[in-house]
Amino acid sequence: MASKASAIKSDPSKDPQVVEVEQGSQSSKDIISVIDSLKGQVAADRCSSIKKRMEENRQKLVGITNHLYNLSKTRKNNVMTEKNVDLLTKRQTDALGMLNGLDVNNGEKDNSSFQEEVHASSSVLLGTSSGSKSAVCPIKLPEVKTLPPYTTWIFLDRNQRMTEDQSVVGRRRIYYDQNGGEALICSDSEEEIVEEDEEKREFGDSEDFILRMTIQEVGLSDAVLDSLAECLSRKPSDIKARYEILLKGDKDLLCFKEREAEDDPKTDDSFLDKDLDAALDSFDNLFCRRCLVFDCRLHGCSQDLVFPAERQTPWSCTDEENVPCGPNCYQLALKHPSTATASSPVHDAFEDKPIDSPVSAGACISPRKKTTGSFVGKGQKSNQSESASSNGRNMSESSDSEIKPREGSPSVHHSPTPPRTKLVGKSGVRKRNSKRVAERVLKCMRKRQKKNVTSDFVSVVDGCLRPRDMKLRSTSRKENEDASSSSQQKVNSPITRKSRRKESPVPDIQKFLSVEAHDGPSEDIKDAPRTINEDISSKEEFVDENIYKHELAGDKSWKAIEKSLFAKGVEIFGRNSCLIARNLLRGLKTCAEIFQYMNFTENKPSYGSGDGANSLVEGHSKDAEPRTRSRFVRRRGRVRRLKYTWKSAGYHSIRKRISERKDQPCRQFNPCSCQSACGKQCSCLLNGTCCEKYCGCPKTCKNRFRGCHCAKSQCRSRQCPCFAADRECDPDVCRNCWVGCGDGTLGVPSQRGDNYECRNMKLLLKQQQRVLLGRSDVSGWGAFLKNSVGKHEYLGEYTGELISHREADKRGKIYDRENSSFLFNLNDQFVLDAYRKGDKLKFANHSPDPNCYAKVIMVAGDHRVGIFAKERINAGEELFYDYRYEPDRAPAWARKPEVAGSKKEESVPLGAGRAKKLA
Amino acid sequence: MAKTTLGCEPVVGTLTPSKKREYRVTNRLQEGKRPLYAVAFNFIDARYYNVFATVGGNRVTVYQCLEGGVIAVLQSYVDEDKDESFYTLSWACNIDGMPFLVAGGINGIIRVIDTGTEKIHKSFVGHGDSINEVRTQPLKPSLVVSASKDESVRLWNVRTGICVLIFAGAGGHRNEVLSVDFHPSDIYRIASCGMDNTVKIWSMKEFWTYVEKSFTWTDLPSKFPTKYVQFPVFIASVHSNYVDCNRWLGDFILSKSVDNEIVLWEPKTKEQSPGEGAVDILQKYPVPECDIWFIKFSCDFHYNAAAIGNREGKIFVWELQSSPPVLIARLSHMQCRSPIRQTAMSFDGSTILSCCEDGTIWRWDSTVTP
Repeated sequence: MASKASAIKSDPSKDPQVVEVEQGSQSSKDIISVIDSLKGQVAADRCSSIKKRMEENRQKLVGITNHLYNLSKTRKNNVMTEKNVDLLTKRQTDALGMLNGLDVNNGEKDNSSFQEEVHASSSVLLGTSSGSKSAVCPIKLPEVKTLPPYTTWIFLDRNQRMTEDQSVVGRRRIYYDQNGGEALICSDSEEEIVEEDEEKREFGDSEDFILRMTIQEVGLSDAVLDSLAECLSRKPSDIKARYEILLKGDKDLLCFKEREAEDDPKTDDSFLDKDLDAALDSFDNLFCRRCLVFDCRLHGCSQDLVFPAERQTPWSCTDEENVPCGPNCYQLALKHPSTATASSPVHDAFEDKPIDSPVSAGACISPRKKTTGSFVGKGQKSNQSESASSNGRNMSESSDSEIKPREGSPSVHHSPTPPRTKLVGKSGVRKRNSKRVAERVLKCMRKRQKKNVTSDFVSVVDGCLRPRDMKLRSTSRKENEDASSSSQQKVNSPITRKSRRKESPVPDIQKFLSVEAHDGPSEDIKDAPRTINEDISSKEEFVDENIYKHELAGDKSWKAIEKSLFAKGVEIFGRNSCLIARNLLRGLKTCAEIFQYMNFTENKPSYGSGDGANSLVEGHSKDAEPRTRSRFVRRRGRVRRLKYTWKSAGYHSIRKRISERKDQPCRQFNPCSCQSACGKQCSCLLNGTCCEKYCGCPKTCKNRFRGCHCAKSQCRSRQCPCFAADRECDPDVCRNCWVGCGDGTLGVPSQRGDNYECRNMKLLLKQQQRVLLGRSDVSGWGAFLKNSVGKHEYLGEYTGELISHREADKRGKIYDRENSSFLFNLNDQFVLDAYRKGDKLKFANHSPDPNCYAKVIMVAGDHRVGIFAKERINAGEELFYDYRYEPDRAPAWARKPEVAGSKKEESVPLGAGRAKKLA
Repeated sequence: MAKTTLGCEPVVGTLTPSKKREYRVTNRLQEGKRPLYAVAFNFIDARYYNVFATVGGNRVTVYQCLEGGVIAVLQSYVDEDKDESFYTLSWACNIDGMPFLVAGGINGIIRVIDTGTEKIHKSFVGHGDSINEVRTQPLKPSLVVSASKDESVRLWNVRTGICVLIFAGAGGHRNEVLSVDFHPSDIYRIASCGMDNTVKIWSMKEFWTYVEKSFTWTDLPSKFPTKYVQFPVFIASVHSNYVDCNRWLGDFILSKSVDNEIVLWEPKTKEQSPGEGAVDILQKYPVPECDIWFIKFSCDFHYNAAAIGNREGKIFVWELQSSPPVLIARLSHMQCRSPIRQTAMSFDGSTILSCCEDGTIWRWDSTVTP
């Protein structure tokens, strides 16, 4: 190509503009001829490339077929050695012999017929047909009973949402009618089919080639673009845009080559370069927070992220506190210097540290955490779940209070105002303290570093804008305060220390909020949170620098992701560096390093917001809008969320239904992300569903379904509010409904409600009956029960693909023709289709007088279809239920005898008083 | 069908016969009244290169091609179920080399006939609907694969009677599967096509242990842990209508829809991301009046030529591996006017058999030896 290109280029190129102006028609002809020749060249290239590939393929194939030929020959040899007489071979030789015999006998006849054959006459030779055909008597193949027809299906033990590639909407589908022997197009009308042509076509290599060469030769002008556009059947603007891209691409390529020559790219761990949000992106996208699995088939990937308003208390470690977690444990690391200085009280003081570490961790994170933290710290380590539930109210209250920025509270105003004097005073105290505990070399060093840090801050900050200045000043004050408090540790009693600690973080957060609030309206800074973050980051840089300069050797600078992981670790484990090191930063940081960093950040008051660790603060600053997913990798397999569009005029295919009420389908639940008690904006409320445990809103939300408190009824009657609302009980929500694990050897949860056993969790727990698949007594396949059951017993779930109503309408067109439909109306958004995916209950047949009934039940936020026994069913009986087809669309076989005869549509009362309300 | 972009156009063969080879009718056989849907030579065993079989109605018949256009009937099998209508057959063989004949049809039962003992060897019940094609793995001829109306492709071990794998499910066909073929050299690879207008390439590499297990299985076949292969490695939308026949040509695929042509294309699969890839349509072999479905083509042993019948009883013989494609011959006979459902080319391509809807078998022999 290159040589050809240069050949064309060698033409003396006239100024295309001039040519065009002077002899427009001439030049356009030229252009077209140039393009045509280029096109011819492309076509020739294509032909030769195909030829080459065909030849390559042929060469390969020769080897393959020869190998196969040899294989077939060895088979021949194999059998030659066998003693068994091969009847096929025998017949073969017989036939050959017969032919020879015939040849002798009927030679003339053969010849004559051949003669005829040459003339392509009507009488065609049948060789030895008469002879051998009579000799061969047909061998009967014994009849084998055929199976009732079915389509290959995949077993599902839980519903799946349809993946995009399964959709038939907008696709051309042809239905072949076996009886009529004709193919019918069952797809949508033409305008509904997605026009593929309208999608933007990519420019192929050869198109680029033509484009480039033409413009190279005749220059860039409108006429050229027009004729190019015509030849390539595109828009001139597209052509132009493409050309620009090409030019740019050339440059980029050059640059890239140069760069490549200059330096080889660094081999960095891409994962460590990202920050935590980016690293978590795949987690956020792929992990289902409802089912606690990756790649959830029911709720799909890329769900809206819902963060609960209530946070869990940090993990409280009970037994391992004083055992060093490994050679790099901070306890050991600290012991070394302390033993070097050989002072037992110091030692004690350090030993003290881990015990109250949860306290300070809690304090650092949030006021709420602090309370629970201190609670734990006092040694009242009760069962976490219990304390969680009992503290529930407290927590929600505290979280409520957190939500409102306490601008009005005096402490807020207090915090920014304390000026330098206080700082000085504090530092003075600090100095005194440090003098008093001068023997603690390590501590001292650290303090000095702190001092350096703070002084750095001040000096930097001085030059800044006022609000910022103020804030930073206050932070530095805080830092000093903290520093002093930590230096006073040994002097002060633990209780006073705690009280100090308690105070410090509260104004901390408030200050952060208040600064944010104050900054908002100020003209100097437009984007308050941003600036703050910038501040913080800059501060961090300083901090890092200082660490780098002054900290002991081996303290590498912390990467962003490590910081975020650390912050998460504090959130989960509290200030337990052993656990954080083991679980989150394994291989990245040692326990001692984490401990150092922890102490360090703790003293740096605004670390939380800076690291994104203090997610409460961060969360609240953001929680007006739900957290948007980061724009990084979007994984495959996203579930398309079709906006449900109800076409009133649309034709609805035959579907099984639960409800006889026509226009009251269940509502699909989608968790809301409200961060406070749900108000009018709550998506659940607007949608008409209750809030569930998956919602972001706190437990006190008025819209929450509160579960039941049943004690004796076993939740089997409508007295149970769960049962009455067609819901299964949820051990997370209901008071007395609990689930035991395993065989009890691992301990059982404390029983409540005197040995009460909830019977309304059968779908959740998959306590289903064994169902057998067999030949139905009615038609086709049928589902049978293995063991006998009593009335209202749960038999199993009707599972399938969750598809939209629109999709169901499209699929239904084909199913209706085939007269077999596995569609089942689930709720206002979804229809279950068990055609290709489902379970054995999809084969349960319809009967107007059934022994089972189906019921849509809300189980942990999802609607599911349970099949229940309507009466006592004996072992081995076939299962039937009423499909409840919409009467005017029910297939003839599904109509009740009374209805089937008459077209008149009115309610026909039937046994058991189940009148079918006809529409 | 996606519009081909400039520089990716296929090479289309011209319909002028090259007269490279000439054929003439040497025999015509009326087997019965019911349509014949399949005819195939035995390429599995070198002894039987001149043996072929046909299916139609509830009959399976084994013939031999002899010198001078003579066709001899060797064996005949009749299913006791009169409603059976066989659609397809394939030659296979047992481990010890006994020739098997595998046939399937509307009943959905695969019949494995041991032609060495003239007895039914096994009947495979499992498919939920009629069977549209059965093919044999040439490297391991006791493995057969079947394409069915129940939207699945299944791999069977004819020796032990085990259904080893089922190619269906989340990524499977969405309508009847009409045709399936083993890759000639890559033992793990098959291609299937059907009424959902797609061609799907499947790999059983990850499931090969099950295939091996099926040879040594001694327990009941029903207890075998049959596996579902749910995701093909490649899905190609080459056609916009039913795809009723596909065959591998080396690493390329020949497939046909009802568009009066056979298309040769290269699947460009991506190993890293299965299911994605591109199709490069290389060549097209026009076949006029071939616009009804269930017309299948066949190749000779070395894939030099392919023969395909059409709706009007004519046969087109294409040289497959030349570029541009060359039409070797166009065969027509005044009395052969009903649709030819399938053809069979002999080992070297010198004999072409065609079976018609009116129940006749036509034998064409090459007049000039190549």
